[in-house]
Amino acid sequence: MAAVHGDVHGHEHDDHHPSGIMRWITTTNHKDIGTMYLWFSFAMFLVGGTLAMGIRAELYQPGIQILEPELFNQFTTLHGLIMVFGAIMPAFVGFANWQVPLMIGAPDMAFARMNNWSFWLLPVAATLLVSSFFVPGGAAAGGWTFYPPLSTQGGLGVDLMIFSVHILGASSIMGSINIITTILNMRAPGMTLMKMPLFVWTWLITAYLLVLVMPVLAGVVTMLLTDRHFGTSFFNAAGGGDPVMFQHIFWFFGHPEVYIMILPSFGIVSEVIPTFSRKPLFGYSSMVYATASIAILSCVVWAHHMFTAGMPTVGQLFFMYATMLIAVPTGVKVFNWTATMWRGSMSFETPMLFAIGFIFLFVIGGFSGVICAIVPIDIQVQDTYYVIAHFHYVLVSGSLFALFAGAYYWIPKWTGRMYNETLGKWHFWLSMFFFNLTFFVQHFLGLAGMPRRIPDYNLQFADFNMISSIGAFGFGSTQLLFLYIMINCIRSGEKAPQKPWDGATTLEWTHLPTPAPYHSFEKPPVVN
Amino acid sequence: MHNQDTQKKGSASIWQIAKAVMFAFMGIRKKSDLENDAATLTPAQVIIGGIIGAVLFVLGVMFVVRLVVS
Repeated sequence: MAAVHGDVHGHEHDDHHPSGIMRWITTTNHKDIGTMYLWFSFAMFLVGGTLAMGIRAELYQPGIQILEPELFNQFTTLHGLIMVFGAIMPAFVGFANWQVPLMIGAPDMAFARMNNWSFWLLPVAATLLVSSFFVPGGAAAGGWTFYPPLSTQGGLGVDLMIFSVHILGASSIMGSINIITTILNMRAPGMTLMKMPLFVWTWLITAYLLVLVMPVLAGVVTMLLTDRHFGTSFFNAAGGGDPVMFQHIFWFFGHPEVYIMILPSFGIVSEVIPTFSRKPLFGYSSMVYATASIAILSCVVWAHHMFTAGMPTVGQLFFMYATMLIAVPTGVKVFNWTATMWRGSMSFETPMLFAIGFIFLFVIGGFSGVICAIVPIDIQVQDTYYVIAHFHYVLVSGSLFALFAGAYYWIPKWTGRMYNETLGKWHFWLSMFFFNLTFFVQHFLGLAGMPRRIPDYNLQFADFNMISSIGAFGFGSTQLLFLYIMINCIRSGEKAPQKPWDGATTLEWTHLPTPAPYHSFEKPPVVN
Repeated sequence: MHNQDTQKKGSASIWQIAKAVMFAFMGIRKKSDLENDAATLTPAQVIIGGIIGAVLFVLGVMFVVRLVVS
């Protein structure tokens, strides 16, 4: 079965690609581009994380100690924007670049040059975003959701943010078109849609969601730009506009965006759990159907972010019911993962630990989401730390933990070397401990009424904030351990066998040597 | 596309499409039914069925809401 035609064909081409910096600037190879996406997103993760450390340092004690309120608001805004658009989304595109062609038996992505372009737009956008701290007036400070009127009143930093979002959106749309075309047109013979690995399925559906909602985001930031500079009044009540319309348009993008960040995580976890349970995924077809269902439902629930913005009761009830119904297909997924592990021959290497950690903590985030969906409760917890706790349980212990699981799972295939298992387990347990220390207590802060986006707070919130800050510093430092583990693996890890995980069944493990050759699947494999 | 079961593609009845879409909304499907779906449904049928299903879902929730507030 181990036909290794990929590397046989690959060697002759390997000698021809440019070396040094030009290799990376001009590359059209999906593996190179995937690697760049992953390093870029990790760099942005460190930048966004540094901002988070600043936020938590300020909140360590009541009173203003380190950051002036204006700068604090810039930190919270840029932390959100950088983590969402600079870290989590590009990281998943990096995984897609590496894994989609390998998992469907394709030689590369469908539009290889566009792939290069989609990546190289990112550093430009990131530069705009980060440099906005140094322009007069500082960076955007109206929150990552940049609601008007704050965003129409802000300084040059808001314009830089708007252009940055434009560029990031263009990059995402190009990336999605590439992924959709690759999956639909370049599968190996015999790889029917319903035989595709679940990671590929979740990315196909995510890519459609991206194509659907990214233009909406581009539209709304353009309207903001024309309101700011060209005399329009889309969101200006004095000119006949409506600031609440911004919220509707933004969240029509924003809620599917949440699923854009979680569906590929579902895909990664659906690869990792069966491998380390040594059983096929329970209910594969249900997983595909549930993913499609979640994607469709995600487009009709947006106004649950706006229950306090003013809405008729029928509107509140509609969005409350629709939101709670998403728990059904999501629950199906959680049951399927659990059923996959049931009576499996399980082992607990680092990817599996992160995948199980994902299920455990994502369920907590999911439940607090259902709680937030209930209108009377949401009216109480809106804009409090309860919401902060909720979405960090979904995005950190959800998306980020899945990214870690995927990184540990596939790093042997990418580099040909094994990571240090002991350190990997340390990374998991420290992350698990410090994550919960940081964010679990924020539920209590929120329920007690502590508002989000404030640099100072009432004395009654002091203890939990101190605990949360200690957790955050621990969590931040732990991620440096991840960086060390990865560098150590790339430079001096033990040589990895072709299939280090004996439960793995997808093409990259069964049909390719380790590390995956520079050019793989020039002749498509035949899938039975 | 490399589907081998092209001979019966598109032969599904409206009820079959509706059933596939309804089960998709819940996120569950028996394996034998799925294989039957994969053999008889075309992507266009599923997409159109899904859009109609989404509209019906929205109308259904709206109906329940009206019922609750009336």
